[in-house]
Amino acid sequence: MRRLALLVPVALFALPWVLARHQLSILTDLLIFGLFALSLDLLMGYTGLVSFGHAGYFGVGAYTSALLLLNFGVPVPVAVVAGGVVAAVIAWPVGYISTRARDIYFAMLTLAFAQLLYTVAYKWRDLTGGSDGIAGVPKTGLWWGAPGLASPTAFYLVVLVTFLMSFLLCRVLVRSPFGRALLAIRENERKFATLGQDPARFKIAVFVIAGFFAGLAGGLFAPFRGFASPETMFWVLSGQGLMMVIVGGIGTLVGPPVGAIVFILLQEILSSYTEHWMIFTGLVFLLMVLFLPGGIVGATRAWLGVKGTA
Amino acid sequence: MPLSLLVEHLLNAAVLSGLLFLVSVGLSLIFGILRVVNFAHGVFYMLGAYLGVTAVVWSGNFWVSLVVAPPLVGALGAGLELLTLRHIYRRPPIYQLLLTFGAALIMEESIKVLWGPTARAAEPPPVLSGSVGLLGATYPSYRLFLIAMSVAVGVALLLFLARTRAGLVLRAVAQNSEMAGCLGADVRLVRTLAFGGACALAGFGGVMAAPMTTAYLGMGIGVIVDCFVVVVIGGLGSIGGSMIGSLIVGAAQTWGGYYLPETAMAIMYVVMGAVLLFRPWGLFGQEE
Repeated sequence: MRRLALLVPVALFALPWVLARHQLSILTDLLIFGLFALSLDLLMGYTGLVSFGHAGYFGVGAYTSALLLLNFGVPVPVAVVAGGVVAAVIAWPVGYISTRARDIYFAMLTLAFAQLLYTVAYKWRDLTGGSDGIAGVPKTGLWWGAPGLASPTAFYLVVLVTFLMSFLLCRVLVRSPFGRALLAIRENERKFATLGQDPARFKIAVFVIAGFFAGLAGGLFAPFRGFASPETMFWVLSGQGLMMVIVGGIGTLVGPPVGAIVFILLQEILSSYTEHWMIFTGLVFLLMVLFLPGGIVGATRAWLGVKGTA
Repeated sequence: MPLSLLVEHLLNAAVLSGLLFLVSVGLSLIFGILRVVNFAHGVFYMLGAYLGVTAVVWSGNFWVSLVVAPPLVGALGAGLELLTLRHIYRRPPIYQLLLTFGAALIMEESIKVLWGPTARAAEPPPVLSGSVGLLGATYPSYRLFLIAMSVAVGVALLLFLARTRAGLVLRAVAQNSEMAGCLGADVRLVRTLAFGGACALAGFGGVMAAPMTTAYLGMGIGVIVDCFVVVVIGGLGSIGGSMIGSLIVGAAQTWGGYYLPETAMAIMYVVMGAVLLFRPWGLFGQEE
């Protein structure tokens, strides 16, 4: 299994030379939203914090990157990392307040703050362009003076490298003592506290880290699609992130990207038949929650008899 | 500030609080009895508004819609509980939230299919279409009626829970469902009826709101987010908390919208943040 897993990144690097233009664009989308779902699972799966407002940080990343690229022409990697950093900075106070509440209250608070960010993006016309958003975001080069990443393959490779690096970082993170502490909080917060640790500090930290990776995904999204709009912060996207995590497999690193693949391909196929595809994706999600709580990866692992955390 | 303006603001705040109360009290009741946060509650409110508008069009009478639409919404809610929620009560609470989220998506999109994307307006009943003079201010009588109705619903609910046998069973199930079951309460039935009843209440709120706000897509998520703030401030599972929370949020939005139109939303969150810092389980909620 492990050897087979190594083939996946190799295949991902080879794919641009096989796929058609439209397919490559879908694959780029998959990786961006896979990263977004992955960052959400750090909260949901590994710490037991279900955020209903994770799109807020994706959107902050998208706006940051869009503004930097459009106004200052900074290189793409700089804009993407800046997106992550600004998202993390905004996630800190939200995390500080939200993690004071538990379970359901936490979910409601994160949703409320994301809607607040959405309202700010909607109303602060001078900065964000209001409901029109920011259009015409350029794909600049890898560094100052370097040629722009106009070719779909070049931009795909940037997205792929960001995705793989984030994936590895998250893997290191969840296997580190810090990651073990998160699992301990998920399993029994009270016990964790009686061992002399402060759960709040860990929860805020993971909230900021998850915000950072969501910001990275948003930072990639803006130049890829060429725009940033309030929709990138909307609750619908937060909900779609949750669906990807659940469908793929909560509490795993592979699951969320798998969920993103299923979700986006489902949407791609359904939307060619009906504009109301949301009804069917909602139905699929509902059935998954009812009958397959471990998601695709969870079910596959149970079937193969494999155990593991990453 | 002149007196007439103050009166108008107070009434506006009361109207908003009344609508928030009708939805949030159901959210709170469902949590108290089923330990579930119903994400779809806002969509039930929206469905009430659309059904209400359609009922007015068909019957030509607002009062008919007020009687017909809420039970339909309630029946759909009870059906949802019966078919899905009932089977996953033993799972961690977040699965129930996710399930109702999925249901909300399906319902929202279905409403779009059934009624189309444009907003639907409803006329208030002829008796209430005028305005009333009040302490120097003129105010639409329909809105006064809305305030009166939400107060009436609040009082009726409190009396129902405190004074009737059914209310007693509801409180018993909320407090300790296993014990209530041992003492002969049909807990499964109570849960289904409570969920349906609370959805009917949200539907009632929707029917009442339609002549004022029209029925439009997105009204569900708007109201559910506000209601989450209400129950976070007031505390889940408490009718009093829902009342106080609605009043605070209604007031914050009304005066915030007047003095600081750009940051009206923010004021609501500042209040919520302040409450959370001192009482993370809400003003009336119980620490778990």
